[in-house]
This record gives sequence, structure tokens and C-alpha cells, in this order.
Amino acid sequence: MIRAKTYADAKEQSHTNAELNWWIFMRVSGVVLVFLILGHLWMTYVSVSEKDATFTAVTAKLADPVWKLYDWLILVLSLLHGANGARYSIEDYVRSRPNRFWVKIIFYAVMAALFIFGSIGLFTLTPSFNK
Amino acid sequence: MYRGREGQWAWLLHRLSGLAILAYLSIHIISIGSFIFGERVYMAIHEVYDHWLFRLGLIAIVAGVLYHSFNGLRVIVMDFTGHGIRYQRHLFWATIVITLIGTAYTAYMVIPRVLAGV
Repeated sequence: MIRAKTYADAKEQSHTNAELNWWIFMRVSGVVLVFLILGHLWMTYVSVSEKDATFTAVTAKLADPVWKLYDWLILVLSLLHGANGARYSIEDYVRSRPNRFWVKIIFYAVMAALFIFGSIGLFTLTPSFNK
Repeated sequence: MYRGREGQWAWLLHRLSGLAILAYLSIHIISIGSFIFGERVYMAIHEVYDHWLFRLGLIAIVAGVLYHSFNGLRVIVMDFTGHGIRYQRHLFWATIVITLIGTAYTAYMVIPRVLAGV
């Protein structure tokens, strides 16, 4: 994990390119997610009722490829951003090496399963799904 | 949690809100993704979720997302400009104010609907 205050610090502290790339990824995906998620919350929760998220409404919305892509981008970016953020926490608080290994393996498996489940949901849905 | 003052609180809140959002995201993917099992399964889960307590809980999720979003932007401003660090305390309080206003507005929109059951 990098504890840097500037890009130059981050570059100096990172032991591997991968670590530096994750540091950059967190910032880039964060900026994109601000718009995607605040927009999603506004459109699906604040401006309309939670009650409106019925089966018919959700499948009708997701029949549109634009919303499919929008939701899939949220799925990919937020899971990667969230999984990497949680990895920082695991590295900070799970102190013993074998435990850390197993905690990470199980955690990554759960994240991967969620990604596969969400992607299958989004991309097996066709416009005729409703009928 | 006093050493870094605002900076330390900002960091702690960022981590806690991040983990909370990830936990919520996980159950959100499962509940919304359940539409692939058909209408009956989806609506059964949706009706549980529609309990007033969960609908109010979502206001807390909005608060967490607002804080995490704007504090994240604060972190980026600190990382990529020289001026950000000088103003990091101001930016932290700005984040808090934006979060409070956004959360109050969400509550103002959501609570009347919950009370009316719509």
C-alpha cells in the first residue's frame, strides 16, 4: 500500500509498477465513479421512489443497451475500486502472513463471483426477456 | 485519532464509508441481479428491501457515497496540485457541508414517500 501525498511520492514509494498503477487507477476510476454513482443514486432513489424498482421497471430499463453499459461500467469500476480499497484494509489489519493470504483469496473469490453474477444478469437480458 | 486532526478524521471516515459502500454494493448486486431468476424471486427480495427501515437506511448510504465522493476528490486535489495540501482542512469541512446538504435533501425527498407508503 502506498501512503503518498503526491504523485512523485507515490512513484518513489511503490515497490512495483502494479502498485503504482493501482494508485493511479483509484484516482481515475474515482473521478468517473463520482458521476456514474451520484447519477445512478439520483435517477433510481432520490428523484423516484424505491418502490418503483419493480421487476418490470428494472428489466425494461436494462433492455436499453445504453443503461446496460452504464450499469456494467458501475459494476466493473466499483468492484475493482472497492476490492482494491478493501485490500488496503486487509493489508493494514490482518497481520499474520498465512491469514492474510487466505483472507485475500476468499475475498477476491467473492468479488469475482459478484462480477460474474452481475455480468451474466446484464448481458443475458434481451429485449424479449420481459414477454 | 487526534494527531492529524481533520486529516486523520477524513482518512478514517473515507475508509469506513468505503467499506460500508462495498458491503452495500455486494448485497445490491445480489438483490437486483436476482431478476435473472424471474419475477417472483426478484419481487420477493424487493418486498423485503422495501421495508421502511431499509428505505431509511439508504439515506445513510447516500451520505456515505457523498462523503466518499467528495473526500476522494479532495484527496485527488491534494495529490495533483501543490495548493491542495495547504487547503486540505478547508476542503474537509467543505466535504462535510456538501454531505450534510445532500443528505438533508435526500431525506427531504425520501421521508415523505416512506411515510405515505409510496
